[in-house]
Amino acid sequence: MNPFERDDLPGRLFIVEGIDGSGKSTQLDLLHKWLVGEGYLVVFSEWNSSPIVKGTTKRGKKRKLLSPMSFSLIHAADFASRIHDRILPALQAGAIVLADRYVYTAFARDAVRGVDPNWLRRVYSFAPTPTISFYFDVPLDEAIRRIMEGRPSLKFYEAGLDMGLADDPEDSFRRYQGLIREEYDRLVGEFGLVRMDATENLIRQQQRMRQLVEPHLNGVMRIEGQSLSDALVKARLRGRYVSGRQDVTQVSGAGRLA
Amino acid sequence: MTEVRFYGHRPPGFEEDTLPGRLIVIEGTDGVGRSTQVALLKEWLEDRAYAVLDTGLVRSELAGPGIKRAKQGHTLDPITLNLFYATDFWDRLERQIVPALRAGMVALVDRYIFSLIARATVRGVSREWMEHLYGFALIPDRTIYLDIDVEHLLPRVLERGFDYWESGLDFLREQDVYRSFEKYQAELLAEFLRLAEDHHFEVVDARGSIADVFEVLRAKVDGAVKGMEVDQLAAHRPADTTVEQARETEAPSA
Repeated sequence: MNPFERDDLPGRLFIVEGIDGSGKSTQLDLLHKWLVGEGYLVVFSEWNSSPIVKGTTKRGKKRKLLSPMSFSLIHAADFASRIHDRILPALQAGAIVLADRYVYTAFARDAVRGVDPNWLRRVYSFAPTPTISFYFDVPLDEAIRRIMEGRPSLKFYEAGLDMGLADDPEDSFRRYQGLIREEYDRLVGEFGLVRMDATENLIRQQQRMRQLVEPHLNGVMRIEGQSLSDALVKARLRGRYVSGRQDVTQVSGAGRLA
Repeated sequence: MTEVRFYGHRPPGFEEDTLPGRLIVIEGTDGVGRSTQVALLKEWLEDRAYAVLDTGLVRSELAGPGIKRAKQGHTLDPITLNLFYATDFWDRLERQIVPALRAGMVALVDRYIFSLIARATVRGVSREWMEHLYGFALIPDRTIYLDIDVEHLLPRVLERGFDYWESGLDFLREQDVYRSFEKYQAELLAEFLRLAEDHHFEVVDARGSIADVFEVLRAKVDGAVKGMEVDQLAAHRPADTTVEQARETEAPSA
């Protein structure tokens, strides 16, 4: 299928964006569990995870080969591969797709590195438009505090050390995330991202997400009778030898949040 | 001097307006004799004391190994493959070609962005998207296109055998390799000619013998490197040496 010339896709695409430490992945994870618990078929895809491309990205990071443009291009390749192999087929089939970071991550990060914004938008023009894009807005200090809590050291590109903003990784990280946050602020208006207050109580954030998602779930693909946890309860088994189905087994209980 | 101009926009990392080296690109379909001619040109330029960088597709430190691995599986969709190639291209432009141009060398490039654009376009990727993607590419001093038709290309390819990708077997649904190759190359060559017109290539008839093609190429390259500074002491060879003469004089010392 040519991704540039597709008709309306029957599936639904929900994506989360935000700087590191905004709590977006936690919220997407909660949404994921809820949707699975409700019986929907959910396909999940996260940034920088294509089995075909991520080896090269890793190589580039490890050897510090990445410049602003190669950083941008290799992430675009990774994204394209996931669109083709995972996201587009699921949307064509009418399923729900959840993506942890989407094109806006590239728009924000690469623009901060001096890459031309117009060029970026056209390069990524093969990406389907999300049903809803959530932007988790968090003050810089709060995000830094959350990140620094459980992390021994920052990686080179993660801290934006390639940009020469500061020599000290923590100082560099703060400035880099601050610049990205400014870019996100612009993108919210340009692309109509839904701004979420990421300082709010976790449960309240999740309730708001579900309220916004729910109206879009009519006619979406479901999987009936495929809940492993239901089967285990019914058969009074613990599933000792069942592997590779963590998604489903973890679901029990998560659906009760809202 | 190479004027620093780009097809689309100036990418981050370029400040200067001119570079002392020369960027010379040889384009053409697979089997046309590109790499042979590039090898001859390199030797000829070096004999005349020019410092030469030669580079070609999929030779970057960053993405070269990844592309080779990915292509073995035949699983890549065209968009991913082209972004992968663009990564490889940029890495070589930034870390091989431009440093060579800064140092006043002749960068002799075996296939630039045009082979990539032509191959993608015949596979159904939007031409506009491809040309936009490569908007960050430096405009060469000379882009020389080795022009050939399928009829003359066939014997050269038959000698070494058909390649899976060069025959379009990854996307054409022909009954056999021969028909697939014929159809694929015809479409590809038409695309090259369109690019040649749009981007003002210097077109060289590549149907003749290796020596004949080299003679025409040499004259074009000579025009492109005129006025460059070379180490006069090292420039011991007269400019009009033929391939055969050059080979003979080379032999004893090599």
